[in-house]
Amino acid sequence: MSLTSILLHQALNGLVLGSFYALVALGYTMIFGVIKLLNFAHGDLYMAGGFVALLVLSAISGIVGAGWPGIFLAMLLAMIAVGCLGVVIERIAYHPMLGAPRLSILITALAVSLVLENTVLALTNGQYAAFQTSLGFGGVAIGGLFITYSEMVLVGMAALLMVTLELFVTRTQYGRAMRAVAVDTDMCALLGINVPTVIGVTFFIGSALAAAAGTMAGAYYGSLWYFMGFLIGLKAFTAAVIGGIGSIPGAMLGGLVLGMLESFGTQIPGIGSQWKDVFSFVVLILVLVFKPTGLLGRSEQERM
Amino acid sequence: MNRFGRLAVMAAMACAIAGPAFAQGTIKIGVEVPTTGAEATYGRDMANAVVLAQDEINKAGGVLGKKLTMVIGDDACDPQQAVNAASKLVSQHVLAVVGGYCSGATLPTLKIYGDAHVPFVITASNSTKLIPANPGNAFMINSTGDQQATKAVAFLAGKGAKTLAIVNEGDAYSQDLANLTRADWTKAGHKVVAYETASSGQQDYSAIVTAIRAAKPDAVFWTAYYADGALLIRQLRQAGYRGIIAVGDGSNSTKLFAIAGAAAEGVFCFTNPTAQFLPAAKAFIKAYKARFGSNPGPYAPLTYDGMKLVAWAMTKAGSTASAKVIAALKTADGVQWLTGPIRFTKHNTLARSNFIVLEDRNNAWVRADK
Repeated sequence: MSLTSILLHQALNGLVLGSFYALVALGYTMIFGVIKLLNFAHGDLYMAGGFVALLVLSAISGIVGAGWPGIFLAMLLAMIAVGCLGVVIERIAYHPMLGAPRLSILITALAVSLVLENTVLALTNGQYAAFQTSLGFGGVAIGGLFITYSEMVLVGMAALLMVTLELFVTRTQYGRAMRAVAVDTDMCALLGINVPTVIGVTFFIGSALAAAAGTMAGAYYGSLWYFMGFLIGLKAFTAAVIGGIGSIPGAMLGGLVLGMLESFGTQIPGIGSQWKDVFSFVVLILVLVFKPTGLLGRSEQERM
Repeated sequence: MNRFGRLAVMAAMACAIAGPAFAQGTIKIGVEVPTTGAEATYGRDMANAVVLAQDEINKAGGVLGKKLTMVIGDDACDPQQAVNAASKLVSQHVLAVVGGYCSGATLPTLKIYGDAHVPFVITASNSTKLIPANPGNAFMINSTGDQQATKAVAFLAGKGAKTLAIVNEGDAYSQDLANLTRADWTKAGHKVVAYETASSGQQDYSAIVTAIRAAKPDAVFWTAYYADGALLIRQLRQAGYRGIIAVGDGSNSTKLFAIAGAAAEGVFCFTNPTAQFLPAAKAFIKAYKARFGSNPGPYAPLTYDGMKLVAWAMTKAGSTASAKVIAALKTADGVQWLTGPIRFTKHNTLARSNFIVLEDRNNAWVRADK
């Protein structure tokens, strides 16, 4: 394999990985935007999304098959189900804590994460579940680069979801309300914006995006595990911080940057693949030290 | 009924329940396997095999006139939880322990059983790191990692491979096998062109896949467990790697096919003989299926033998005293077990190599080395 071919491949890998990170990071950053909470249970919603999609897919694969149509349908239902789960979690666990000190709600988020992980652990006995699809390994070769159809659809789906989100946030009334709540919650309440509803919508969208990422990861990698949300949760947090936490374009950019950094970082001679995770967290520390507001974040100004 | 009467009835009931046990006494055997966690499939399977052996022994009159009972200690393939499980078994006064799946989890328990003078028959764990850590009470009835490495090197070289990429997961089992294979492969005059360590539970192996594709090895050897191995195989094939892929005995699972799908076609697996490839195991497979409704997994026969070996040693020693049972185990010989004869080296490891090679054809294992 030539050097250019390796670089092209790593760019593609980084793009796929970055898409997952970006989708999960979006939820992180949106929720931080409206209630200033680092929702540590977010990675587990990604995991839950994967499992819901697997259940749906195994139920409907007899009718529509386990190809892309089935996966899309499963993904849609998983997004709705996990979106609702996110809203329920917000109502039960976070809403009563909104007036409490920041640390209390942060600990609540950790507890929610443990509850979700251990529920799935109990249901699956901690075993890997195979996410069986009828997707082959077909693809097209462009120059020295071989791109599978799955990779194309996956990156395309992620891009579509992000564009839709961007349109929602910038062009709709709810989107405007969300941005307003992020800037000043009290003033929004005074002006007659239904703040709890806006927070609910934010949780729904954030959780649904995580579920979409979980479904795509399941279909792409072929397996699910109760603990799969932990590491991606940390990575998504890193991505959100790199991009500037609270900023939606920042989360997208941060996800892609982190995906690329990991992808290329592990190819530097002398740094093996075992350093992959170390690499991304070193970057997190560097960003926190030298540009705490992230690439696109601005301190104490408009957050979303 | 007054209070006194009720007490009398309860006492009578307690006697009725405890009666038979008191009359005969029981021999409590500990079973240390992962029944939760990623490797739970193997652990449950091993526990089932112990149940089968126990019932057969008890039906034939037990050991020294006593019935065998078993207590399961779940090590979850985790060193910390394994220590807890071992302490729990010891505190329940088990007279012997059978099991041990993940070498990394088995390693720290050796000292606990050693300090408590409990004979420990290790039925699956086979890292050579266990050998120096053995206080003398543990016996390994699965062939060890060095024998697997020898088999792997001979087989892959026989397939015409000259360059090899080795991928492990940094735990006691897979790192041991990877290092032994690297040493043997280099000694055989071939080249290891990539030696990678993955972190367990990560989904994305693209960095390793690219490193392997850049190194262009004739063969790739995954030395760790099936769940992550399946992901690596899938991503290797997806990226267009066309060379030989081989996996170690930790990846001998039909779940490998479920996760990797068509990508696992043609993958070679070095393993101790599983039930379907043991001529003596026909009755065992039938009994196992009738009892548990599924086929016995890769470590069921060895674990079944492990339980029977403990019973055999106690009978031979004429006692359950640990020193006598250990002495009997040391001289074990002359019995044709399900998995073949068991004799131990001076390090208490199996005195022969039992490794065979399997190949995935249409998502089923077939023998590849005959």
